[in-house]
Amino acid sequence: MPDAGDSTVADDSDEALIGRYARGDAAAFELLYRRHEMRVWRYLQRNLRDTATADELMQEVWFAVARDASRYLPSARFTTWLFSIAHNRMIDSIRARRRHMNLESLEHGSDEVARQLTADPSASPIAAAIARDEAAALIRAVEELPREQREAFLLQVEGDLDIEEIARITGSSFETTKSRLRYARTKLRQTLKEFA
Amino acid sequence: MSEDLDEIYRRASALDPSRPSEAMRRRVLEHAAALAARPRPAANRARWRPAIFGTLAAAALAGLLVMPRVFNPHPPAESADTTAPAKVPPVVAPPPLASPAPLASPPPLAGAPPFASAPPLADAPSMNAAPAPPPISPPQAAAGSRAIAPTDASRKAASRVDALAQSGAAAENPIASAQLSSPPTDPSAALRRAAETGDVQRLRAILGAAQVRIDAPDARGRTALMLAASRGQAESVEVLLAHGADPNAVDANGTTPLKAALAADQPAIAGALRRAGAR
Repeated sequence: MPDAGDSTVADDSDEALIGRYARGDAAAFELLYRRHEMRVWRYLQRNLRDTATADELMQEVWFAVARDASRYLPSARFTTWLFSIAHNRMIDSIRARRRHMNLESLEHGSDEVARQLTADPSASPIAAAIARDEAAALIRAVEELPREQREAFLLQVEGDLDIEEIARITGSSFETTKSRLRYARTKLRQTLKEFA
Repeated sequence: MSEDLDEIYRRASALDPSRPSEAMRRRVLEHAAALAARPRPAANRARWRPAIFGTLAAAALAGLLVMPRVFNPHPPAESADTTAPAKVPPVVAPPPLASPAPLASPPPLAGAPPFASAPPLADAPSMNAAPAPPPISPPQAAAGSRAIAPTDASRKAASRVDALAQSGAAAENPIASAQLSSPPTDPSAALRRAAETGDVQRLRAILGAAQVRIDAPDARGRTALMLAASRGQAESVEVLLAHGADPNAVDANGTTPLKAALAADQPAIAGALRRAGAR
């Protein structure tokens, strides 16, 4: 149970909220969930381009957060921990799909893999509905990035993580991560330039 | 430019109508609430105690299992015949390292095989056929043993010896002779013993003369082929395989002849077993 007089407030830090939840404050978890729901969702959905799988993984991620809240170490940022969980779940899912679909090129992050992973072409509704819009073009470009670049970019913009944190989560070196981000951003800028 | 890109991306994301499902959101929040309602261990609760106890227990158990093998890696053949160690008359020869008092059963950690009273490789009588013999005098020749008051077991054994003598096999093979001149023994035990000691002549004699199940297991489920493989007795293995021994028999520990050969670093035997269909 939460401590007496220890009420959850909306401007509590993530770290404070997860700590409160670990002590039994369910409202703290809900606040935390609402705060990060869309960021985690977009990270999963844009990496996988499969709404159903993203939904499934989203549940797994937050179940894991709830289950392991008491093991969270305040020395790390909550978002780093949260996106580490999301990343690991997603990689597990991709590997399972690769075994199922016998996709050999997945590790190389080819666009072909991304296309095969897309169970439903309409899973990116904004791209289908308003394809000529600049925003849609950008989202489409993000989704078409090679997997490692897309993942690094989404961790940066959705998880608000720095290069070092992204490198740690993805198991890559700092320089590799930096290169991936640079390539990703170059391609996205190119897309925007062409659109313009 | 970087800020522009991020800004356009955020704007695009805001326009993106895709959302996680409401059902999933409800499940997550309900699950989290249910967990919060349950008493939880404190965040920094010490978990090392059960881990330490578990590790110590595992180490102790491993030690108990390994020690007898370390101090006596090649127990005498008779250990394979043990079904009821308590049946060994303590007055005959107390087992080395056993506890001083005659126990109902040998102590499990004694490190000595239950039949340590018999000299290694000796053709000692097997107790398999004797359900519960009373303490008796040391083994005597078959003829002599028939002179003493016979027990059920000795009667059975004597009849086996008689059958062998009548078959005429005893006159021309050593095992039959041995059986006539020594206390009666279980043919399957003798088979296992001959197999593991590499006494191929005797092995062939038993297989040729006695009605013996070639895969008859000892108390630990080990067959003659397993014992031969584990002792590196390549010739025994060949003879047993030639007589149709099962290369995939499994003992009580899940060991097969092939595993036994590999564990004993006997690649040639392992190859022979594989050729015979061992998996």
